[in-house]
Amino acid sequence: MNRRNFVKNTAASISGLVLSLGSGSHSANAQTKQSSGAARAKFDVMKEALKYRKLDAHAHAHLGIDVTAKDFEFMERFNIERSFVSNPLSAGSANPEQFRRHNDLVFSAMQKYPGRMIGMFTLNPQYRKESIDEIQRNVDRGMVGLKVYYQYKINDPLFYPIIEKMIDLKMITLMHAEATLGTGGYRMKYDKKRMPNTSVPEDFIDIAKRYPEAMFQYAHTGGGPDWEYACKALKHSPNVWVDTGGSNNEEYMIDFAIKELGIDRLLYATDLSHSYFQGLGKILCSQTTEEQKRKIFFKNYNSILKKSGNHVH
Amino acid sequence: MFIDVNANVGHWPFKKLRYNTCASLLRRMNQFGVDVSVVANMNGVFYKNTQSANEELYDEIRSDKAFSRRFVPFAIINPVYAGWRDDFHTCIKKMGMKGVRLHPLYHDYDVTEAPVIELVKMARDFDVPVAFTMRMVDSRQRSWMDLLKESTVKDYIPIMKEVPDAKYLLLNICNGTGLTNEERAVLNKTNYMFDTSGRSIDVVRDFLKNFGKDRFAFGTHAPILDYLSGMLRIEYLNNDEVTAEEKEMLRSGNARKLLKI
Repeated sequence: MNRRNFVKNTAASISGLVLSLGSGSHSANAQTKQSSGAARAKFDVMKEALKYRKLDAHAHAHLGIDVTAKDFEFMERFNIERSFVSNPLSAGSANPEQFRRHNDLVFSAMQKYPGRMIGMFTLNPQYRKESIDEIQRNVDRGMVGLKVYYQYKINDPLFYPIIEKMIDLKMITLMHAEATLGTGGYRMKYDKKRMPNTSVPEDFIDIAKRYPEAMFQYAHTGGGPDWEYACKALKHSPNVWVDTGGSNNEEYMIDFAIKELGIDRLLYATDLSHSYFQGLGKILCSQTTEEQKRKIFFKNYNSILKKSGNHVH
Repeated sequence: MFIDVNANVGHWPFKKLRYNTCASLLRRMNQFGVDVSVVANMNGVFYKNTQSANEELYDEIRSDKAFSRRFVPFAIINPVYAGWRDDFHTCIKKMGMKGVRLHPLYHDYDVTEAPVIELVKMARDFDVPVAFTMRMVDSRQRSWMDLLKESTVKDYIPIMKEVPDAKYLLLNICNGTGLTNEERAVLNKTNYMFDTSGRSIDVVRDFLKNFGKDRFAFGTHAPILDYLSGMLRIEYLNNDEVTAEEKEMLRSGNARKLLKI
């Protein structure tokens, strides 16, 4: 059977779905009225997905064996022009030797996928001189921003010289973020006994106010935090962008974020390999215009990159 | 055509939901080309007497002829609450519902308790599927009044072992599919199906290869999760990974076989 006949037959056999409620029978009771099989032909989700140019504002390289190759395959299949990849330290002391090694892994991904995977360097502000040196080392080899994790909160004074360097470079600082019960200071009566220095929205508000000329990226609003809480909290911090990455893809997340933050502060992102579908799905099904989608998928992050001359043409 | 095996209406007490009525869900289906949705009333997750939720769903679907053509209702049954046998028979025999959803965590019972086994056997005898959801919401952003615990496929192996000849729908696969060889053997002996809404399904071809192309059906977990991720997991597959016929089975054919519609 060829595809056309298969689909035709399938549609015919299920036409008139679905059941007679209250029929007293537990067997299927097909009715005679036509279901709207024609509706499907009007929407092609892959056509929609491929319609937009995309910059992935929060991605990773070499976080697992062979993961980067899988990431690149997703980039190819979903028309993601560039992914901004990092490899932050999530364990150990995060000393200079370790963060240099992690940045070298990121650079190896840049070399393997030139022009497609663009590096974001990591560091530990506890090591001030080594971190400043590491920023310059990575900028010199083409990396375009900072990704940091939970060694210190984003508003810790140890970060001040780092932020000042990033202001000079006109590059964004992407910090892991959560608004999860019992984490990082948020409602600690539910203490989850994990990552006490995790940055929460209030920490971003604080540092963004101290450095209004800096650019901060609140990581993965779909990656665990209470996204309503995060968006409401960050409403009045115009130099904090919110990336939409993460595996949690709750309905209405994007529409709510636009309502609270405006369209210009949202950045398309995936975060990890298991989030490519959700990264797209949550945006494509939002009640946004095509121009708004273009901003989220591409223009907003490209405007950030343009400040340092690293934008895409 | 698309059949969504995992949709919901009703309220979630800790968050305002959109598209959570039959009318608004139908508009969503029309917007994105979904023909039929298997739907349960989430109010039954929270009502102690879940039959009230099933009656609400029944009444809502009867309120518009279009609803009865486009929705396949599932009953939420709590097998540790009085009258559940009557509820089951009313939903399946009188209301024409086509399956049951169980919520062991919310209704606070173990899946191998005697009434659960009895209920699953009843579903088997009526040839209707039993659906389990790995989680309703992501616990990382839960309300302080909501559950902390989520479940995995592994948690439902014991009931599958008890009633291997029932039909199972395992929904919103979000916490991996790791199983021991023994557990996998139990799973393989049952008639089960995953939906495509869950985040664990990343490289889809690996899942199809590992479990079989006949073990997946399109699902959204609407309106809690976004409407399109489950669809993307099917539509992004290329001709090297699935044939046109196989893709159509993922869209609707596998669901039709399971639901007998």
